[in-house]
Amino acid sequence: MSSARKNRKIALSMEELLQHALVIELEAEQSYKELADQMEECGNHDVAVLFSKMAALEGKHATKIRHHATGVELKEHPPWKYRWEGFESPETLELTEVHYLMKPHHALDLALSCERRAESFFRRAAAESEDQAVKNLAQEFADDEHQHAIWMQEWLGKYPTPKMDWAEDLDPPAGAD
Amino acid sequence: MSEAISQRLKASDYKSANKPVWCPGCGDFHVLLSIAKALAHLQLPTEKVAVISGIGCSSRIPAYLNTYGFHGVHGRALPLATGVKVARSDLTVICAGGDGDGFSIGGNHLLHACRRNIDMTYIVMDNEIYGMTKGQPSPTTAADWDSKLTPGGPGISPFHPLVIALASGANFVARAFSGDPNGTTEMLVDAITHPGFSFVQILSPCVTFRPDQKNWKKQVHPAPVTTTADASQAARRVMTDDGFNIGVLYKGSRPAYRQIVTTVTRTNRDLEKEFVT
Ligand SMILES: Cc1ncc(C[n+]2csc(CCOP(=O)(O)OP(=O)(O)O)c2C)c(N)n1
Ligand code: SF4
Ligand SMILES: [Mg+2]
Repeated sequence: MSSARKNRKIALSMEELLQHALVIELEAEQSYKELADQMEECGNHDVAVLFSKMAALEGKHATKIRHHATGVELKEHPPWKYRWEGFESPETLELTEVHYLMKPHHALDLALSCERRAESFFRRAAAESEDQAVKNLAQEFADDEHQHAIWMQEWLGKYPTPKMDWAEDLDPPAGAD
Repeated sequence: MSEAISQRLKASDYKSANKPVWCPGCGDFHVLLSIAKALAHLQLPTEKVAVISGIGCSSRIPAYLNTYGFHGVHGRALPLATGVKVARSDLTVICAGGDGDGFSIGGNHLLHACRRNIDMTYIVMDNEIYGMTKGQPSPTTAADWDSKLTPGGPGISPFHPLVIALASGANFVARAFSGDPNGTTEMLVDAITHPGFSFVQILSPCVTFRPDQKNWKKQVHPAPVTTTADASQAARRVMTDDGFNIGVLYKGSRPAYRQIVTTVTRTNRDLEKEFVT
């Protein structure tokens, strides 16, 4: 399913670029908030705190995009009309990849792939749009995402790869216990 | 930003303050998101929507929405939803639950809900298992799905819920994937606005008892055919597809159930006279 989406051209107008950029940040903020709640609900406090911090960061990025959009009439599109390469906006974390026992390392690793997906989205938007102003702004957004990825990488460096048995649960949710 | 955008209800406005207790990563989170996005797209007032469910992890969904809701009895979501719609035809009624709730204990109600063709949308979050009770097989579990509870697999062939819905008279039949919340939103908008009984099976992974379903995101694909208005053609297609065709598979034009309004001539007192006092 995603290959057809991946091949779809990302030629956007200025309004569409800004709207896409805003939705990327807002959906990322919302999804990190929900992931923080999911983790808190199952007692994984460390990762919950981390996801909350990421939500706050994405909220700041959304504010930045809003500044860029000052004076531009933004229109919401039906959710299925956005030109994402995958099923969701690029900075939204892959839901089935989260695990109730995941460690901060895993959370940061997934967040890093989100930043990289967003960078690749904006690079493609820059390459495939006809309008020079759109190309320039998309390039700027891609550079921002690249910077976020570097920070995320540095952050990740503080958390060594967890031991192989990180998902071992002494009281597993198994049906036949 | 324009004022028009800020005045619109957002998907988050349709979510309640209750925090879901689903396992992190459960597909049902995305179903919740898709319902909220569909309601936001349609800009339905929260007090004009009722979400009715049975019992199961998936059936918790009304509690997480800011609409009217009823978390009912196991397998009885459809009769409840039918009652709500018949009594309050002005409401948009969404019935939601799992494969256990809708196809096992509630299987009989599915047949008659399709047959009655009452204007509502039925969403089944199908994870091919009873998630809430820790992993027993359901009517959509593969015969050879091996687990501690069913060594070697249940040994019974799963049925095709969409074919059963088509044979029973559902007016709209679709298969969605929870991991594609935007595509699912589009399908739900279509289902809610289509007159009559709309049935949407959403493949929604249970990451805890069916971690193999994490792979569904690689297996699903758009149905290679366009929506048909021919129920037997749709049924043939569903019978022979790989179970991962995503799309609106059938849209019928059978008129939705309309209540025959009769003038009530008997009073409560007349009724009371019929009971022995
Ligand atoms: C009358 C009755 N019988 C059995 C149960 C136990 N029970 C609770 S949920 C459930 C199955 C739920 O499966 P499904 O509808 O697929 O929901 P899921 O948890 O997978 O989302 C069962 C058998 C019950 N609550 N009530
Ligand atoms: S047991 Fe399965 S269906 Fe239930 S909340 Fe957990 S992942 Fe979801
Ligand atoms: Mg189930």
